[in-house]
Amino acid sequence: MIVTIITGAFLIYGTLDMPEWGDPNSPASRHVSPRYIEKTEIETATPNMVTSVLADYRGYDTLGETTVIFTAGASCIMLLRRRKKKG
Amino acid sequence: MIIEQAPVLIVIIPLMAALVTPLLGWIRKDICYPWVILALLVSVMSAATVLNTVIHEGVIHYHMGGWLPPWGIEYVIDHLNAMMLVLVSGTAFLVAIYSKRSIEQELPEQTVYFYTLFLLQVTGFLGIVITGDVFNLYVFLEIASLAGYALIAIGEEGAPLASFRYIILGTVGACFYLLGVGYLYIVTGSLNMADLSGILPELYGSKVVLVAFAFFMVGLALKMALFPLHVWLPDAYTKAPSVASALIAPLMTKVAIYVLLRLMFTIFRPYLSFELLPMAKILLIAGIVAIFAGAIMALAQVDFKRMLCYIIVAEVGYMVGGIGLANSVAIKGVVLHVMNDVVMTLGLFTVAGIISYKMRSHTLMDFKGLFKKMPLTMAAFVVVALSIIGVPPTCGFFSKWYLIQGSVLAGNWIFIVALLFSSLVNIVLFFRIIEIGYYSFDSPESHGHDHDGDSVISEAPVSMLVPTLLVAVIILLIGLYNQSIIANIIQYAVPKL
Amino acid sequence: MLEFIIGKYNFWIYIILMMIGFYAMISKNNLIKKIIGMNIFQTAIILFYVSIAYKRGGATLPILTDADAHAHGEHIINMAQYINPLPHVLMLTAIVVMVATLGVALAIAIMLYRKYHTLEEDEIIKALK
Repeated sequence: MIVTIITGAFLIYGTLDMPEWGDPNSPASRHVSPRYIEKTEIETATPNMVTSVLADYRGYDTLGETTVIFTAGASCIMLLRRRKKKG
Repeated sequence: MIIEQAPVLIVIIPLMAALVTPLLGWIRKDICYPWVILALLVSVMSAATVLNTVIHEGVIHYHMGGWLPPWGIEYVIDHLNAMMLVLVSGTAFLVAIYSKRSIEQELPEQTVYFYTLFLLQVTGFLGIVITGDVFNLYVFLEIASLAGYALIAIGEEGAPLASFRYIILGTVGACFYLLGVGYLYIVTGSLNMADLSGILPELYGSKVVLVAFAFFMVGLALKMALFPLHVWLPDAYTKAPSVASALIAPLMTKVAIYVLLRLMFTIFRPYLSFELLPMAKILLIAGIVAIFAGAIMALAQVDFKRMLCYIIVAEVGYMVGGIGLANSVAIKGVVLHVMNDVVMTLGLFTVAGIISYKMRSHTLMDFKGLFKKMPLTMAAFVVVALSIIGVPPTCGFFSKWYLIQGSVLAGNWIFIVALLFSSLVNIVLFFRIIEIGYYSFDSPESHGHDHDGDSVISEAPVSMLVPTLLVAVIILLIGLYNQSIIANIIQYAVPKL
Repeated sequence: MLEFIIGKYNFWIYIILMMIGFYAMISKNNLIKKIIGMNIFQTAIILFYVSIAYKRGGATLPILTDADAHAHGEHIINMAQYINPLPHVLMLTAIVVMVATLGVALAIAIMLYRKYHTLEEDEIIKALK
């Protein structure tokens, strides 16, 4: 319980310096994303910005994510297969 | 053209091979083993090519999909990366050769999926080591962790519970890492490591960066089993199948230490890590406590593999304490020790696997009389033991030497005392085993184990023996050539402090 | 002080949710409660990230509709009209990872149940001794 409270306090302490919620001028919105928003139609011909980032700019992360699913699937098969009873 | 694409091939070939393995295994179970070895051989050769290129030409930047960073993902390979790549893929290759007989004995029905998860875990580790983007690192960290959870859970009695505990603690660690990435993203807007290290210096006074750093540290400390967050390690590595522990034990903790080095020196420059925050003191104290705790708990163990797990905890203490010394000699020692520890832990766990294969258990008493019956295995074991104790000309001596030099330079005597104490404890631990190995008071029949009808234990099978002997030879080679390794590779991997 | 809280209350709510999940994960005894705590913790992290992406002042979803598609030759897509797509993308991947971890954890819980017929951690530890 104490660990939980300390962790929560630390996290809240960290938010004190963060930009406000919904601020359109925060660094997160100004640095990398403008290019995603403005150029998505031109560079990737996809109107949906989330898709263009997911499949084009950051497609490698999506490959990793599919691998995660495959890993989980193979793990579950290996862990849960019922053995034939011996004797 | 292949040489240009080598950075990607290192990660993609095991991944694609892992996807094909269940199909091959459905056709014939026996072709999984050569397939795995082939895939890892290509990966090792690509890693060696990359290392060669980095030594001769400098840092490699590889942009995924042609998008420039920070809008796309890039792979940055400098000297530290290239060394870790060769280590990880080489270890995986040796364990794959070693795995055939052990898997036939311990896991006969689950062979196909075992090899699939083996390749996936290697993919995960290679992806962590090579990437230059913090979120990509999280994805591959989860691939490696998930494969690890499943590989550990199919072991002996009590393995599922050990794996469940590892899941809970490992997920906490990975989520803290993700929280750190999130906090950094909120104030910088970028996910690329080089970009972050450019933007962060203006933000050093911000509380967000401080909290992000703290969460990264705690998350990584859980993954690298730094005392007192090591509680998942002994159970998980002891009860896993011997091949699984031979793969995971040398690599998981050291890859986490690599991520720590990347974080502290590339992303948060040494100015933040050492001068603004008292990280040096904290890491040093954590390292010293870990060394003492690991050494003392290792003395109390009766089970060989459990003893090795506590030795791993102490070794992590060396490395973390070495980073805490904060001068470049010590960090040279830490990087050299990462290399040495991968090889030494691999050697120890392969010997444990051979003992487990022959005697079907892995307690200390199983070593009785083994010097006469398995001379080659025990010779390799003695070389690895000397390296952990720190006897020249094995590699363990040189990394301890650099750490002691760094400690003298920093004026910290408690760390030297901890190192020497740990060496003494290791001497006691290993000479105890060597003594048990020399004397065989009882005849083999009265052990009570069933040796498949043989009453004489013979030498280990060739496919298990060759990797073990190779590891012993590598330990000696690293020790003899350590000067040229440091001059060519490690020197450039260490920041100027 | 008040605009301080109003400016950041979204982060605080998610942190409290995270701590509820974290507490359940480390201090409950039942395996399923631990797994659910893990799920709550990870879900709260995902919501935390998604909340970063919001922009005040009439920003809509990050999808270009037909009206804007005609204008793309003139580069008048305004950054402030659309919310930030990057955290959404990262969280798609994180959701998948969360579900995969949930699956493997539940598979191990099934393995444990088949063997020991109980889901309480202390009973399993006692049965192992």
